[in-house]
Amino acid sequence: MTQATVYSDATHAKGEPIIELIDVDKFFGDFQALKDINLSVGLQEVVVVIGPSGSGKSTLIRCINRLEKHDRGRIVVDGIELTDDVKAVQAIRRETGMVFQQFNLFPHLTVLDNIALAPRQVRHASKAEAEATAMQLLERVGIPEQSRKYPGQLSGGQQQRVAIARSLAMKPKVMLFDEPTSALDPEMIKEVLDVMVELAKGGMTMIVVTHEMGFARAVADRVVFMADGQIVEVGTPEHFFTDPQEDRTKLFLSQIL
Amino acid sequence: MTTQEVSAVFTPLRKNWWLWVKENLFNSWYNSLLTVVLGTGIVYALLAALRSLFGFDYTILRVNLTLLMVGQFPRDMLWRPWLSGYLLVAAVALAAGLLKAQAQSKAEQAGLPFTKTRPGDVLRRGWPVLVLVVILLSLTQTITPTLLTVGLLAMGIAAYFLGRVIPARGRRLAWVGVVLLVLGGYLALAAFGGRGWSQWGGLHLNVFLTIAGIAFAFPLGLLLALGRRSSLPAIRTMSVTYIELVRGVPLITILLFAYLAIGFLLPENLKPSPITRILIAITLFEAAYIAEVVRGGLQALPKGQVEAGQSLGLPAWKTTRLIVLPQALRHTIPPMVGQFIALYKDTTLIQILGVLDLLNVSFIINTQPQFLGQGLFILTMSFAALIFWVGSYTMSREARRLEKKLGVGER
Repeated sequence: MTQATVYSDATHAKGEPIIELIDVDKFFGDFQALKDINLSVGLQEVVVVIGPSGSGKSTLIRCINRLEKHDRGRIVVDGIELTDDVKAVQAIRRETGMVFQQFNLFPHLTVLDNIALAPRQVRHASKAEAEATAMQLLERVGIPEQSRKYPGQLSGGQQQRVAIARSLAMKPKVMLFDEPTSALDPEMIKEVLDVMVELAKGGMTMIVVTHEMGFARAVADRVVFMADGQIVEVGTPEHFFTDPQEDRTKLFLSQIL
Repeated sequence: MTTQEVSAVFTPLRKNWWLWVKENLFNSWYNSLLTVVLGTGIVYALLAALRSLFGFDYTILRVNLTLLMVGQFPRDMLWRPWLSGYLLVAAVALAAGLLKAQAQSKAEQAGLPFTKTRPGDVLRRGWPVLVLVVILLSLTQTITPTLLTVGLLAMGIAAYFLGRVIPARGRRLAWVGVVLLVLGGYLALAAFGGRGWSQWGGLHLNVFLTIAGIAFAFPLGLLLALGRRSSLPAIRTMSVTYIELVRGVPLITILLFAYLAIGFLLPENLKPSPITRILIAITLFEAAYIAEVVRGGLQALPKGQVEAGQSLGLPAWKTTRLIVLPQALRHTIPPMVGQFIALYKDTTLIQILGVLDLLNVSFIINTQPQFLGQGLFILTMSFAALIFWVGSYTMSREARRLEKKLGVGER
């Protein structure tokens, strides 16, 4: 495989690197899901990862907070290297928020309790403090009136906004989004993307796996294209969408645009 | 039977019942013959059963009612079981009221519909218990039990409504009250010169062994279920070995083994009483089954729930305690009740160890001189069967209701 195409203006992360992946490999049995991944993400940078399904995009971001364990290489988040050490893993997970395709809200807890749970249990915030923060976050994602309801009573878009608020409640330095709009009905995609755009503008460091090219164009600092477990091409949105270098990228873009 | 005939049997009853009878019972000469022969037999059996039921002399039950209910509990201390019953009914009714009130405030906050329990519902759901109580009271020889039962009912209703009206702030304290009442229910029997469980008997013993067995086995079963899913091979192997070993052996074997082995292994002064040994055996046995029930609940939980907990930085045990177990255990309530019913009936096996439980008492009262050889077995066994049926049926009915209710609102 040829070296990934990296544009001169995209070689380095925008700010101080906060996430670094160095020569990362990941196997599921005999299947190699990630091959020799090198990626550095800077503070306040928004990186959008795109690629065909099965290309390893989700595996990539799931390795960053250890939902999957990488087999080779190094992953460093905010100066902490991911190892088998439980404390390091916990420390990284506290700094890293994750939003899932299927929301994964806790159905037995109210919206408010969903958001307040982790701050109370992990950061040892008081009940009043955690609930006040939760309400602020619900205001921010635009659904404070739903705070006493259960996730099952909300629409998909509302649930995903709650999930984003739940992650933000831990005041993470990095947010990982794993296809946050893929399970939503079309009319609900926008409300979730709006929240993400607002988040990006507020300076949150984000890695977003998505098929929403509009979002990538508008918000991404860099776009990463993956195929077959490898990073094929990295570039700014302008470069990436108007002047892709690799055949694989051109093919993919021609299929989806 | 051909497929057509099979489907005919399952078609709903038509308006014209005679047509249905003709199509299903008299559609050929051999079917007509079967209908007549079997029909006559069934009618005859029913009549015979009814006649003998009314023809029986119920003295055997009247005389032995106390023995059937509480075994050989000292007769001058019968106020103790009654007091215990009052305290336990108060505990259950208070808890039910509190749960209902909690469900109501939760539903109201979330804007979900909430149905109040109406007296009619209680009658519809609880009629077997009411019928049984009436039958039992009809067998008593004085008015006292009837008065006490009416008092018990009134107190239960009062405790339920107390639980309903206690404001949210006081609920935690009220739950402490429930625990104290349960504790009091035991102390009323055992403390201050009373009798501990080693000297209990009759229906009381069956019910006690069921409840205590589940109560002790549940935490153990929970640990075994979690152990079976542990990432540590040693713990996993131990859990699997225990569960599969115990599940492969009949309860009666474990009862005998525990009874005899504990007798052999421990020195005389440390030997637990027979009923304690039985309780240990039941606990060890049930734990394995509960572990499998819980495992089913754990497996039904989507993987994303654990991942969400992990990604929020929750330590593994908090993810288990706050996210996995509350959801998984909710799903295990119906099968757990099934386990409960099975144990309730299985407690009759302890009579092989010579313990006077309800079934054993129903059996041996037939050997009392005045009832010997009068063929009253059918009566006493039917009596025991009725009591077990009422308990099991009520539990299974409530379990089905819970099953329907689960998944509403909070899913």
